This record gives sequence, structure tokens and C-alpha cells, in this order.
Amino acid sequence: MYQENYDDVEFGGDVDLVANSYANSNLVEGELDEEELIMQAQAGVQSIPEPVRNFLANLHRNLANCNVGDLAYNYENQFVRLTDKFYGKAPWPEPQYVAALVGDDGLFLTLYRELYYRHIYSRLHPSLEVRFRSFENYCDLFNYILNSDGPIELELPNQWLWDIVDEFIYQFQSFCTHRSRVSKRSAEEIELLKENSQVWNTYSVLNVLYSLIQKSSIYEQLEAGQQGGDVIEAAGDFGVRPLYKMLGYFSIIGLVRVHCMLGDYTLALQTLQNVELGNSRALFTRVTACHVTVYYYVGFAYLMMGRYADAIQSYVHILTFVSRTRQYHQRSYQFDAVNKKAEQMYALLAIAVSLSPVRVDENIHTYLREKYGDQQHKMQRGGEEAVEIISELYLYACPKFIMPNPPSYSDIEAASNTAEPQNFQLKIFLREARLQLVIPTLRSFLRLYTTMDLDRLSTFLDMDPLELRNQLMVYKQRCRQIKWAGTPDLLQGEITSATDLDFALQEDMIFIAESRVGRRYADWFIRNTNKIQDLVNNIENRQKTAIANAGKPKAEENNT
Amino acid sequence: MATTSFDRPSTRPDEIHTLLTGVERYNPQKAGVLEDYLERQCANSDPLSNHDLMANLALLKMYQFNPDLVNLDAIRCILVKALISQSQSDFNLCLYLLSDDICKDASISKLLVLRDYLEGAQFDKFWKEIYGAEDDDEGSVVDDIAGFDSGLRRLIIGEITSTYQTVAVKAVETMVSLNEEAVLRLCKEYNWPVDGSGIITLPLKSENKAKNTVIKENVKFEQLTKIISAANGI
Repeated sequence: MYQENYDDVEFGGDVDLVANSYANSNLVEGELDEEELIMQAQAGVQSIPEPVRNFLANLHRNLANCNVGDLAYNYENQFVRLTDKFYGKAPWPEPQYVAALVGDDGLFLTLYRELYYRHIYSRLHPSLEVRFRSFENYCDLFNYILNSDGPIELELPNQWLWDIVDEFIYQFQSFCTHRSRVSKRSAEEIELLKENSQVWNTYSVLNVLYSLIQKSSIYEQLEAGQQGGDVIEAAGDFGVRPLYKMLGYFSIIGLVRVHCMLGDYTLALQTLQNVELGNSRALFTRVTACHVTVYYYVGFAYLMMGRYADAIQSYVHILTFVSRTRQYHQRSYQFDAVNKKAEQMYALLAIAVSLSPVRVDENIHTYLREKYGDQQHKMQRGGEEAVEIISELYLYACPKFIMPNPPSYSDIEAASNTAEPQNFQLKIFLREARLQLVIPTLRSFLRLYTTMDLDRLSTFLDMDPLELRNQLMVYKQRCRQIKWAGTPDLLQGEITSATDLDFALQEDMIFIAESRVGRRYADWFIRNTNKIQDLVNNIENRQKTAIANAGKPKAEENNT
Repeated sequence: MATTSFDRPSTRPDEIHTLLTGVERYNPQKAGVLEDYLERQCANSDPLSNHDLMANLALLKMYQFNPDLVNLDAIRCILVKALISQSQSDFNLCLYLLSDDICKDASISKLLVLRDYLEGAQFDKFWKEIYGAEDDDEGSVVDDIAGFDSGLRRLIIGEITSTYQTVAVKAVETMVSLNEEAVLRLCKEYNWPVDGSGIITLPLKSENKAKNTVIKENVKFEQLTKIISAANGI
């Protein structure tokens, strides 16, 4: 079905259309001779290889017929294969040429352009003009989706929808980083940036995300779902359609990402209200990249808020999932992206576990030890070396932070001297980490005793006793963390002790207490009891059938 | 009981709540509304109701998006409030939304130093830094915040009661910067017995009770349903 050859009827008749759109978009190059234009257009269309032309025609047909299943195949498999085969280092055919093949279908072309620009961003280097055009394309797309009178008749596979939102935010972040590197921009680029300040404007991006959320009434739907109310009613006309619902949902995740990039971790977690993080069937699990992204940012937000226990829990959860499903995703084109995020999460997990020692799942623990065992030792010893390692891992694994505003183009020198946002975030985090490091260092000493004199401990640690007193108070302060208890609101939680080592001071004497986890035997017993019960049932059943069969005369033998 | 800083405080008016939960929080014209609310928080000395973290974070975010609206005094107030908040991470959360330039300002950088002392439990340095020399004419960095001293002392006492089972009066004096008489009055207020040699016995609570615990496993009834039904021949 996918190898059907289509007659290239459209291509011959629509060259004029192509020539016109080509002329219109090349304003910079000035007017070309019309004949030359037509020849160029013809050459352009002909240069598209046959498999690609077929693919585009298929895509167009499936899009028009809302054939989501086939679209998914087109998008996830064929597009990737064709890219690898023909367009590894070059852009896909110009949208103007593709226009001829699909009869200038506006919606198709907008979607195609999104793919076209996305490809340029990932394999090539986008110029400033490409960035501007891509933004305009997104504006067209979202305008069409959001500002039509009724819900539009479009259906796309979830993977594609997620990629649109994901790429939108990625390009936004890329643009912010690009424009803030003022010293690397040429004078004309700076002029262009100054004149087009509405392009990739932070407010516009936020506006798109909030509008998608509002249009789909996704929060109302989630709340109704949680409380057992009527989801369909809560959804309204637009939210009922999968396109809007999923776009709204993915926009929530997109917002979480943007908030984290801007350093607003509380708002990020608040945005996930009612998105059931503990539910293994929640909507975000339908797209692996989305699933991984959610946990990455949630874990990161918790980490920055000092809720190390919650961060560890999030990361362990998602990393177990990734390692268990690794074999199913080998051939998915998302495999690389998911893997990279997983590696970053291991680094962040190493930091979190060093700052707030706690037992983790066996597999994760082994992998962590393999990869970061050395660094973990150094981090737990404290001191400047630990801080260096934390910085290194942090800068490797943190999201790309951005400044919401353009730099002041008039004062180039000052602008180029402002610190990159991630260094600022790192500085604040390190301040916390430095204080938090008291926990692993003290803990390793305190664990060996049940009572200890303050002066003796201070000689062990080579510290002034007064200083040690302060450190002990800091330890006490820091071992209390808020831990999320599974409520729909991720910010809530109960204050619990995050370490297994506790102590109390009686003037100068430290009394140390440890809490350990008792042996768990109930699970083992239950499982084995059930197993043997099943075995017994099995044997009894077989026995019954055997007896029944013995009593019955064999039908064939009686008929001979 | 644990109400975190993220819950809606009882004193937050509806108008502010709607502002925070909608897209209006990005509207730069609303900065004035949040600043007024901040002023009201500063004037309120009741520690249980005078800190609205979410509203203050929203104001800081507005400053982040609109650098021309930045009001350093408001930022100072927000940070001071976060400093004495019950939740130790509040200060950091506010910091993440600032920038290097803002942190270079004199009063803000002083607050950062103070915060280091406070979090490092170096209380004597902290008190010295806050109020400076006797003849210092400059206004203190914690001016205009009602209830600062008492809030701060409450915080420090909270830490003391979590860490110590018995503590010397002298030690408490340095930590909360009160003279002996005031400390003894405090002990009476909280009903802490003080023995002859100036040692206060603090009440035992979960934080300062050093007891070895074993976390036992919790077997839920649902896990046993299959076994029990099999045992009863179901």
C-alpha cells in the first residue's frame, strides 16, 4: 500500500503556481526573468527523488483523509528513513516545490514547513532568516488551530503533536541563546534582531501555550477525570477533539519546561496540577519522549527546591522505566534523544544521592556506581573537590536556561559581560549544595557511634567545637525535607526526615540514633504461598480431568 | 499540620488569588497590585499570616520579564520575609528569579551574607551583621518589616529545640541575642525547666528524640486476600 506509484499528474499542471510562489518569496533576490523562474521551478520539482515524491503524496492523502494510523507510519518510519537516505546533510525540498505536488494545500504546506525547518535545526545550522521564517510558520499553524470558528478537521498522531510542541519550545530556547550571545552576532544581525523584536518573543510563546491549554479546557478535563466527573462535558467543543486535547496536554508539559528554563520551579510544579504523576496510564505515557521529559523536569525542579528525596524518587522511577523498555525502543528515532536525557538524569541522580544519601533500587544503584562511583566518593567527602564535581555534573545535565528578554543591543559590551543564566542558577544551587554537604560528611562519622562527645568529634573532624555545634544544627535543619505524598498537587508534601541518621545534643554529648529498615519477609512468603496454592490447584484440576476422562468411553473405539 | 509555603494563606485576598492563578500574572500593569500586597505583608506582624510566597514569587517573575519595573526595595523586603520563613527553601526560590546585576546591589548582597550566616547556624555573626555597630547611622537592611525580630527568634528557637535535649542558658543567649533575664523569661513562657546550673531542659519531640527505630514493613490487607480466600476454600 505504501509502495503504490502515483501518476505525477499534478506536477505538470501547476508549475505556474510554483513559479509565482517562488517569485513572491524571493523578495531579497529581486525580480527574476519569468522564463528563468519557470525553468528553475521545473528543475526544483524534478530534482525531488521519486520515493520522496511518493512519500509526500501519501502524506498529503492521509492527512486529507484523517488517516491517523497511516500518518503515524509515514511520520515515524518513512520520514526518518528518507531523511537518512537523501537528506542527511541537506535540507528537504523547498516548500515551494512541494507546493506543486500537493496543489498548494495551505495546511499541508504549513505542516511540511514545520518538518522542513525542524530538519534544518537538527542536521544543519539555522541562519537568522530561517529562524524568523520558522517562527512565522508556527504563528500560522497555531493561528489556524486556535482562531478558527469551530474545531478544525485535522487529526495527527500523538507523536507528531508532541514533536510540534517540543520543537517549538526548543527553537524558542535556541533563539534566546543565540541572541544573547551578542558578541558573536554581526552588525546586520543585530539590526535585524532589533527591528523584529516580536519574533520569538517570550510573551508570544507563553501566549501560544496558555491559549492551547485554555482552548482545550485540559485542566477542567483532568480535574473531572480525577474526581470522577463528566470529562466530556468539561472538555467543551474543542477539547473533545483529540487534536486539541493532546495539544493542550502537551502544552502543559511545554509550560513546565519553559518555567524551568526561566528558573521558576514552583510555578513549573504548580502547572502540573492534576496531571497524575503516579498513574502508569496517564496521558503523558503515550509518547515516550513526553514521559521522560515530564520526569526530567519534575526531578530537576525538586532538586533545585532542595527536595532531594522527591527528586531521587522521580529519577529512579523514570530510569527504571527507561531501562526496562530499552529493548522495545531500539529502532525508534527517539531512542537517541531519550537516551541522552536518561544519561543526564543519572548525573543529576548522582548529585542528589550524594547530597542526601538514601537507598535506591538495586539496578539503578549498580549502574550509578559504575558510571559515577568515583565522583560520588569525592562528593561525599565534601570540600572544594566535591563542589567542583557537582558543578561539572550539573552543567552537563541541566536544562538550557534562558533570559526572557533580549539583551540591550545598545550596550554591547555590558551585554556580553552578563553571566550566562545557567551559571547564575548553578551559583545558587552550589550555595545550597555546600551547606547540604554537611550531611554526608557528618553522617559518615556519626554512623560509627551511639554516643559521642562534642570535643572528641571536633578533633576527629579537625574542626573548632563551636563550628561543629553550628554544623550539627545545620545538619538537623537540612535533614528535614518536604516529601510528596502522592497528592495531585506536586508542591504539597509532608515534612519528614530524609536521612536514616538522627541525633540529639545534651549540652556537649551527642546521642546518635539510626533508623534502619526491618527485614521484609511478608512479600516473599505471600508470593510463595500463592505459587504453591496455584500449583496445588493445577494438580487437583488435572487429577479431576484425568478421572473424568477415565470414566468416559472413548467415542471412536465404540464406533468401530 | 504541615502547611507549606505553597498553600494559600488565609490572609490572601481573592483578587490576588485570581491574579496569581490566571494569565494576568504576566501583565506588567499588575505589578503595582502585587507591590501593595507586599507592603501589607510587611506591615503585618503576625507570623502565621504575613508571608505569601507565591505572590512574592509572581512579583519577582514580573521583574524578571520587565527589568525596567525592578524595585530593589521590594526585592529586599521579599528576601527578608523569605529569610525568616519556616521553610528554608523559600529564600533560594526567590533567588532563582533574580539576576547577577540585582545581586550586586548593596542591600541584596548584604542579605546574601546574612543568609549564609543564618543557614550556617553562625548566629553570633548574624546578629552582629544585622545591627552593625551602635553608632551606625544607615538604616538596617531589615527595616520596615514588622515582626522580623520575633519571627527570627522563633525560627532559631525552633532549631534549638530540634537539636538539643538540654542546653546551657549562655548558649541560648548568644544564639538569640537576648540577655540572661530575657532568656529566662522565654523559658518561663515556653515552660522549660531551668535547673540550678543554668541548664534548660527542652521538651522531647520527634525531632530531638534520638531513638533507634526500625522501619517495619506494612503489610496491607489486600495483599493477603488471595491466601485467605484459598485457605477458606473459596
